Amino acid sequence: MKVVELLERRRQNWQELERYCERISLSSLNTAEISRFSALYRAVCADLALSNSYQLPENTVQYLHKLVGRAHNQLYRAKRFDFQAWAKVLLEEVPQRIFNDRCVQLMFVFFWGFFILSAWLSYSKSAWPDFAEQMLTSEFIEQLEGMHNKPLDGRDGDADIAAASFYIQHNTSIGLQCFVWGLLVVPGLYVTAKNALVLGSAFGYMARPDVSQGEYFFQFVRAHGPFELTAIVLSAGAGLRLGMAWIMPGQLSRAASLQKHGAEMMPVMCAAMLLFFFAAIIEGFLSPSAAPLWVKSGVCLLSSALLAFYFVVLGFPRRLLNAAR
Amino acid sequence: MAQRREQIDSVIRVVTPENIAFEYRLAGPFRRLPALLIDWAIVGAAIFIISFITMLTIGVFISSGMATAIVVLVGFALYWFYCGLFETYMNGQTPGKRLTGLRVLTTEGQPINAMQAIMRNLLRGADLFPYMPCLGVIVMSLNSRSQRLGDLVAGTMVVIEQNSWLTGIARLEDPRAIQLAGFLPPNFIVSRSLARALATYVERRRFFSPLRRREVAKHLGEPLLVQFGLPADTSYDLLLCALYYRTFIADRGEDEKRLAEAHAAASMQTPFQAPFQQNPFQQPFAQIPPMKPQPLPQERIVTIPQQSTRPF
Repeated sequence: MKVVELLERRRQNWQELERYCERISLSSLNTAEISRFSALYRAVCADLALSNSYQLPENTVQYLHKLVGRAHNQLYRAKRFDFQAWAKVLLEEVPQRIFNDRCVQLMFVFFWGFFILSAWLSYSKSAWPDFAEQMLTSEFIEQLEGMHNKPLDGRDGDADIAAASFYIQHNTSIGLQCFVWGLLVVPGLYVTAKNALVLGSAFGYMARPDVSQGEYFFQFVRAHGPFELTAIVLSAGAGLRLGMAWIMPGQLSRAASLQKHGAEMMPVMCAAMLLFFFAAIIEGFLSPSAAPLWVKSGVCLLSSALLAFYFVVLGFPRRLLNAAR
Repeated sequence: MAQRREQIDSVIRVVTPENIAFEYRLAGPFRRLPALLIDWAIVGAAIFIISFITMLTIGVFISSGMATAIVVLVGFALYWFYCGLFETYMNGQTPGKRLTGLRVLTTEGQPINAMQAIMRNLLRGADLFPYMPCLGVIVMSLNSRSQRLGDLVAGTMVVIEQNSWLTGIARLEDPRAIQLAGFLPPNFIVSRSLARALATYVERRRFFSPLRRREVAKHLGEPLLVQFGLPADTSYDLLLCALYYRTFIADRGEDEKRLAEAHAAASMQTPFQAPFQQNPFQQPFAQIPPMKPQPLPQERIVTIPQQSTRPF
């Protein structure tokens, strides 16, 4: 058969398929149109496969490559959130991975080590008398004291809700930054250490017996603290794992190692983002409200217990559990 | 050869579930920058408009604290998750990528999932690390798929997905090509690689000047003229057009008929006659004496002192 004839015969099919590709989504099509689309797609695939033996000109082959590519992307679409599969990943895979992950353990020790050290230095007046002032700067301390100088009665709801939104944005950004910069290892360690020092110092300073605002400060932070601080540790650990993936790739190439650990750490990062989300909700609605202290303490205990259950009970290696039986 | 073309054109092969291999062109940093700038402009405009509207409605009528909270949270969500959410729900494209004809796929050419979309966009913070903002571009230039760090971690790549126009068969404006096709030996079989070369040449020749056509076509035309036993002053360009016509346009049935005729003629042992007295397919510039090549710079340097007279 002559190539001209073949092209003339196929041209209409190809152009019809092109018109389907220009639509954003196939979901607006009815069944007849969808089956027409897939028939056209299979036909153009066959044309491309046979283009060599048809001796099609190079330009036409290029055109077919692009057309098949576009139709392929219309047919095979991005998978949306599959909540059932995610629940399985989040409740089974992630806790076990976190429980065994050396980087998360290391970051846990790293973050809390700096946090406690800094808190103690700020609290104690003899060890390093102006540590808190040097760490936090006096303006920040004044700002902090000004924010917590009255009991949380929910009467000044306007300013409270603005402040809470600022906290959510600021703290979640810190967590995400710990993760993202963790890929570059040194900046990740730096930003995690810096935040641990600043947070620890603020906690230590507020715990001083002569700081009167401390009481309201601890009332404010206690409800969302467990989720928020754990999420920061988790994301810093996931970031460090990515950084170690390209520094110590083992048997793989650096790119392949990065991709492998990236796929493993994505669910961990999703867990961290869920924690940030819970912390944000608590921080937005419960922490600045006038709810009695026992409610906030209860939420604090409950969230800590949930986290312990998640990481230790769900995360305990099944292998060891089965061996013990 | 094929591999070199793939390297130069940055083409990547993808095999579909239909067992068809097709090609994608990868998008380099200079293709992706405009898409990023468009997206940033959209985010900036969206934050501005949302804060304007919120401040004027909720801020005035309900409470300014609530309005601030909404603006801060919407800005936060847009800053971190705008690209990730669009790539999830628009099948690997953000509005900027859609305008510039790009799409994100996994390295196997499959569509990306929500986690990959969010991960690769979160990690843009590492690619544009504030103290070393060209880090992403450096990483892109170091791997064969121009993936930035976020792409490497998520296992994705960005390809160009553009409309291309179906050109069809080139039109031959010179009827002499079709005449000349009749003088080509009917038993000459055009191989696949020759057919590809012919198509590439003839589809592009309208962009060349006649002299340029002659220069390009000479490499293929000269040996073919000798092989076909045609006069040496036949236009190379016309010869290739004739071959193109025979390969892609002419009916093969005719060829076979002519082949049979030629066999019959050969069996009758007629003396071979020159097919034509005066060659009607001459080079358009056969009268022009072949141009002398420009002397190379070093030759020129040698000749100048010989011509010039010494001042003393």
